[in-house]
Amino acid sequence: MGTISLKNISKSFGSTQVLNNLNVDINDGEFLTLVGPSGCGKSTLLRIIAGLEQQTSGDVLIDNKNVNRVRASERDLAMVFQSYALYPHLTVRRNLETPLRLRDYNAFERLPLIGNFSPSKKEKTESINQLVNKTSETLKISELLDRKPGQLSGGQRQRVALGRAMVREPVAFLMDEPLSNLDAALRVHMRSELSELHNSLKTTFVYVTHDQAEALTMSSRMAVMIDGNLLQLDTPEEVYDNPSSLSVAQFVGSPKINIFKGTSDSGGTVGFLNVNLKRKSSESNTDLHIGIRPEHLEITNESNENTFSGTVAYRENLGSDIFFHVNIEDGSNKIIVRGLPQFTHQISNGSSVNIKRVSDKALLFNQAGMRVQFTNA
Amino acid sequence: MHNSKAHIWFIAPAIILMIIILIFPLFLAGGISFTDYNLGNKTFEWVGLENYDKMFNRKTYVKMIWATATYVIVVVPISVVLGLCAAMLINSLRFGADIYKTIFFLPVMATLLAMAIAWEFTLHPTLGIVNSFLANGCGGVREFILGFHWLPWVDSQESWYAAACANNMDFPYWLKQKNTAIWTVCFIGIWQAFGFNMVLYLAGLTSIPRELYQAAEMDGAKSTWEQFKLVTWPMLGPTTLFVVTITTIRTFQVFDTIEILTKGGPSKTTYVMMYAIFEKAIQQNLTSIGAAITVVFIGFILVLTFFQRYVIEKRVHY
Repeated sequence: MGTISLKNISKSFGSTQVLNNLNVDINDGEFLTLVGPSGCGKSTLLRIIAGLEQQTSGDVLIDNKNVNRVRASERDLAMVFQSYALYPHLTVRRNLETPLRLRDYNAFERLPLIGNFSPSKKEKTESINQLVNKTSETLKISELLDRKPGQLSGGQRQRVALGRAMVREPVAFLMDEPLSNLDAALRVHMRSELSELHNSLKTTFVYVTHDQAEALTMSSRMAVMIDGNLLQLDTPEEVYDNPSSLSVAQFVGSPKINIFKGTSDSGGTVGFLNVNLKRKSSESNTDLHIGIRPEHLEITNESNENTFSGTVAYRENLGSDIFFHVNIEDGSNKIIVRGLPQFTHQISNGSSVNIKRVSDKALLFNQAGMRVQFTNA
Repeated sequence: MHNSKAHIWFIAPAIILMIIILIFPLFLAGGISFTDYNLGNKTFEWVGLENYDKMFNRKTYVKMIWATATYVIVVVPISVVLGLCAAMLINSLRFGADIYKTIFFLPVMATLLAMAIAWEFTLHPTLGIVNSFLANGCGGVREFILGFHWLPWVDSQESWYAAACANNMDFPYWLKQKNTAIWTVCFIGIWQAFGFNMVLYLAGLTSIPRELYQAAEMDGAKSTWEQFKLVTWPMLGPTTLFVVTITTIRTFQVFDTIEILTKGGPSKTTYVMMYAIFEKAIQQNLTSIGAAITVVFIGFILVLTFFQRYVIEKRVHY
């Protein structure tokens, strides 16, 4: 079992409030990502779960047991740190053995030399060796066991750090931006490895990242945190397609969602620039933000009441996609439009383009930044 | 690039200076140590190893080596361990750390000469504050604590403190007594040295990443001792190596306190090498034997440095 519940967690450092009354329930075997911009308190929340930091108020429950007063070493969690925090003076093998030695051997057996006289030590050493070998085979680091962390590359250290967390079969894994020190290609590769690892271990993972792409690709559910508040906790698909607020919509998705200023009239018809949406807003007679993701806009040759025009300011070619940064004609907006290379390769910086929407994809937000639904009618 | 001679011009001043003020005198001292030359003499005779033979067979020089060894072996470990303990205690303080840092570091900054004179007064057998403090404590808590009466096997009538109280306040003469002088000098040496070690260890402690302690905590290192063993001590390895080397070399060089407080006495129990070189070569004008002691002294330092460089260094850098 590995359920973790956070109830009304608040944390302040002096007069600075970093976490505001958070409630999260993490299911057994789930891959939950805490994602948010830097400084949003996600690492602090992870450290509160770990027990390395004490919450100002609220409860942490692991497997339905309140662990507020249980120290980190007794919560039976394993953590992978951003800097890996491997013991630099120990070989990889000893690094992997450390959590087992500290827990399995008693104080007498840990003594140098005389500890070896303990009758049960040999058996324990045997089982520790087996566990270390098993883990290093899983992570493909068997040939590195005799090296020291200083002799390893970033990716290998990452694996060793994972291994040190894995050998012990903890209730849950806590990971604090474990991939942020790797180069881009390795990071993408490790994403899939972590997902596979999660699938095979079936243990609870709590994963902190500032990278929304990691959150979208790996997690079973993601918790979006901004400024110490939990804004949305849902599956990646739901968070992306159906964000609860403007901040979430802007944070998740790359490139960023395009935001237009618009209004709804008394009938709920939403208009922005020269365009009216087909669907009606549930809030009438108000100013609104209309969010449309870059992939839901298209460059077109048509010019009618459903299109608007602008000038390409910058063309960003990613190979598989081309993103056009377009200045809208009235000068109020700068938006990003995705184009497929085969249709748009001839468009260059400075050309005028017409843009149309993919229907039924716009998202509405009110002035407070909260989501506004369309009426079903 | 290989044809350019510019590099010679860049390093020549340093090399020439080094030869003039370091290497040449060293060889000169080495040469003189095999002669009977004294400063002012017009001629000299080669005497081979006679000076060295004296050093290892005459009682004075055996005592010299004994005193130096005692001083180094006592002062180095104690001042290093004390420095480490003080640094860790100060590091764990939330406030007030600066006050303690200043207090412990003052002896390092102060002129040792002036401090030695202050100690001379403090330890004066009749006028000194130490012995009057002890005398006033007869029969009281001080006697209980310093006389070790709290140890179960110490008889409160027989302890050194009780004996001194009973015998007309016959407390040790500290610097004037054969069995206490070297230990008193060691004590002053420790008092003077550990502040510096503390500062070095404080610097070493701040460079240990906090995440390592957290990793140790997550791995199940619950007690402070476990965390010390797993993280602090290994991570301080390079600092310890440096601290031990520096302290050893500095304790070998002890001179000021000896010159002020004991002049090598009583009966040569505090006759350390540096003082012996000074006494023989400068005061008694026996240049050749002074040179021989110097060579042995340099030998010790060299052996230590090589040991540090080639044996221990490999184990503390990861």
